[in-house]
Amino acid sequence: MIGRLRLFPMVGSGGRRLFLVLLVVAFLIVALIPRQAQVILQSVGKPFANVLAVPFKAMAGLDRGIRDWWNQYLALQGVYEQNIHLQKEIQRLQGEMNQLREKALASDRLADLLNFRQHGQFQTVAARVVGRNASNWYQALILDKGEDDGIRVEMGVITPAGVVGQVIKTSGSMSIALLLTDPNVAVTGLVQRTRDGGIIQGTAKGFLRMKYIPPLSPVQKGDLVVTSGLTGGFPRGLLVGRVVQVEESEDDLFQSAHIDPVVDFSKLEEVLVLLSIQPEDGIETKVKELDSPVHRSGLP
Amino acid sequence: MKVGLYAGLVLLLVPFQATLLHSLSPFGIRPDLCLVAACVVGFWAGHFEGLVVGLLLGFGQDLFSAGELWLNMVTKAGVGFSAGLMAKHLISTTPRAIFVPMVLFSIFSGVVFLVSSRVGMGIQEVLQGFPRILLPQALFDGLVAVCANWLRARWGPQALNL
Repeated sequence: MIGRLRLFPMVGSGGRRLFLVLLVVAFLIVALIPRQAQVILQSVGKPFANVLAVPFKAMAGLDRGIRDWWNQYLALQGVYEQNIHLQKEIQRLQGEMNQLREKALASDRLADLLNFRQHGQFQTVAARVVGRNASNWYQALILDKGEDDGIRVEMGVITPAGVVGQVIKTSGSMSIALLLTDPNVAVTGLVQRTRDGGIIQGTAKGFLRMKYIPPLSPVQKGDLVVTSGLTGGFPRGLLVGRVVQVEESEDDLFQSAHIDPVVDFSKLEEVLVLLSIQPEDGIETKVKELDSPVHRSGLP
Repeated sequence: MKVGLYAGLVLLLVPFQATLLHSLSPFGIRPDLCLVAACVVGFWAGHFEGLVVGLLLGFGQDLFSAGELWLNMVTKAGVGFSAGLMAKHLISTTPRAIFVPMVLFSIFSGVVFLVSSRVGMGIQEVLQGFPRILLPQALFDGLVAVCANWLRARWGPQALNL
């Protein structure tokens, strides 16, 4: 027998019918005017999202703690064999290190120059990744910063390594960023060596692909792909990845390339959200007028 | 007691789904706990409660996922409601009896999400979602629902006379 415990004993069958009718009407409104309904739901959902943010951040802290504990203790099994292997590796690397030190000194000087030139180019806010999309159907990150920190929809999300994705939803204290590997995100890109443009988009399998590369482009395996700055949210020149395979068929008008992203999307813990970008002519373009505290960084 | 249980479910399940469950997902596939919860509540407490709990869980999930803001809400509410109606006509209501309905609901919900998340893509890309996400998740949801149903029968408010 199925036991029936009534949740709302004060609500009679008439009240329930009325509720169901109102609900059906609400669903019809959502179906008929999805855009307007989206705006209404967004404003209704903000307080709810703020309430949910409290257990969310607590669980994210717990998740982080468990992962740290796992890494520190349980993952140390087999560390003895690893230690012997690493000692041999250290001897080999010490030789290489001497050679690299010289190169590093030169590189540091160049990096300082580059940093000096680019310092303050992008206005960013650092956010911690507190969760992943709440369903399997999208590849997205949940960030612990939201509108209160100046984050708005369509802003770009990066790490010092390269492009991560784009903000698609915000609430007061949290936001959702769709990863570049999701098929619903498209960013205009450029093959750095050949300067040929194309559209970088995720695939259903979770890989990254650059489409619409001109048919005569000499793009080849190993070429770096950067953002072209033509779409909102990202300035020109942010690293996306490296070409691993070029596809060219006689039936297609364009070439396409598989890209190995520079960012490891499965291990992201902190990201930077681009609040404003500066075009190459030096005139700063504010994406949004912001009055929240942010920090400036000089990312490549 | 029951209102508190449902409130706890709504407040904790979505954050759990998005944070801790991520570390426990074999092959990158996670069960949709909100869908399972809506189905189990509908199955045991009736279509009205299934609908209300599904509605709230779905809305919470919508706020923390990348899709449209109403999709989870409508799907979960529909599943909770349908599970309640279905349970009225089932002869056997053992914990295992929920497996087949749960798998069917999960496939239905999965098709809705698959189509909505692959708008403008080729049929090949849409079909890839079946073996990669939809079917494994449906089986996973079915197994979790059986466990949840068993726990509910063993430790739920009615079993404890609350």
